[in-house]
Amino acid sequence: MAAEKAEMDALKKECDGLRAQIEAARKAVNDNTMSGAAGGVASVGRVQLKLRKTLKGHLAKIYAMHWSADSRQMVSASQDGKLLVWDCFTGNKLVAVPLKSAWVMSVAFAPSGNLVASGGLDNICTVYNIKAASPKTLRELDAHTGYLSCCRFLSDSEIITASGDTTCCLWDLETGKQKIMFTNHIGDCMSLALSPDMNTFISGACDSLAKLWDVRDGACKQTFSGHTSDINAIAFFPSGNAVITGSDDCSCKMYDLRSDQEVIGYQDTSLNAGVTSLALSSSGRLIFAGYDDFNCHIWDSLKGEKVGVLSGHDNRVSCTGVPDDGMGVCTGSWDSFLKLWN
Amino acid sequence: MSSKPHSSNNIAHARRTVQQLRIEASIERIKVSKASADIMNYCTEHARNDPLLMGIPASDNPFKDKKPCTIL
Repeated sequence: MAAEKAEMDALKKECDGLRAQIEAARKAVNDNTMSGAAGGVASVGRVQLKLRKTLKGHLAKIYAMHWSADSRQMVSASQDGKLLVWDCFTGNKLVAVPLKSAWVMSVAFAPSGNLVASGGLDNICTVYNIKAASPKTLRELDAHTGYLSCCRFLSDSEIITASGDTTCCLWDLETGKQKIMFTNHIGDCMSLALSPDMNTFISGACDSLAKLWDVRDGACKQTFSGHTSDINAIAFFPSGNAVITGSDDCSCKMYDLRSDQEVIGYQDTSLNAGVTSLALSSSGRLIFAGYDDFNCHIWDSLKGEKVGVLSGHDNRVSCTGVPDDGMGVCTGSWDSFLKLWN
Repeated sequence: MSSKPHSSNNIAHARRTVQQLRIEASIERIKVSKASADIMNYCTEHARNDPLLMGIPASDNPFKDKKPCTIL
């Protein structure tokens, strides 16, 4: 027992030492702030986007949406037990996928446009082929021991999932088996985002941390702290060098990967609602963040200022997405509607 | 009360935590001023191709409902 206690004490001492070392190294490169550096950048002025379409069709709260890579189709998930694939140019519904479990929390479009995936309180990520005559279940990925909070396809043969069991997982869709488990969070994983080059991904969790992972070797490469509550939303800055998070602490933050720390925060004393979702405009200059206050607020990512708002939903904005061509923003809400703005 | 399995779990956990912290401590970090400048440059270089910043002419707007034209 004494030997074990001695080892525990030594390990704890080493942990404390390493944490102090990391903090010191971050401090050593912290020679400026983003908002300080962005003083000379021209303001974007007031960003006023117009509501272009309201997509009606779901009968209950919408929990998730994801754009197709073609920037035209979009899939949404509602606790009415359906996935709907929309043609956003016409507003028409293209496909309706009935779900085995109505308690859906996440939905994803494969880059090919052939597959969609969803999951939620059933702990399962189900992958559907939507190009078949009627939507066909391709795989049921069943190994998480907690709810499925987020999923993203790398291709038609690989998908990454995030779960309330605190892990993320890379699955092989040919076999339906787990390839790699990403374990290091100590709270429910709530959100994940793939890097532009797809070699890494980031996860946000209820332990208030964001973690950067290597897709191929499963290693957690970096951990970002600073939020004081659950991180619900996470996205990569388009260059791949920074990460934006949104939290129940009512703030968003940008963490730079190469300086390994927060470089700017987005908060306002008048905003007392948790952030549920976020998406960036194609240049990365605008952050569209959905809040519990029924609005999607628009932030200038460089100056840290609120520059606009998308108002119109009658309940919490639960999901937000910008298509790859950057031509608009889609917001989805507990009011059962999706809205397209630009 | 024997807590041997419990304590060896704690030690295994502590060892993993140290391993992870060693990985995170060992990375190279660049100055925040350089990191911020690179982010700013990316934004400014891509601004003119950002439809939500630049605005979209009505004729090119895929989400705008097209109203039928009346020839008077």
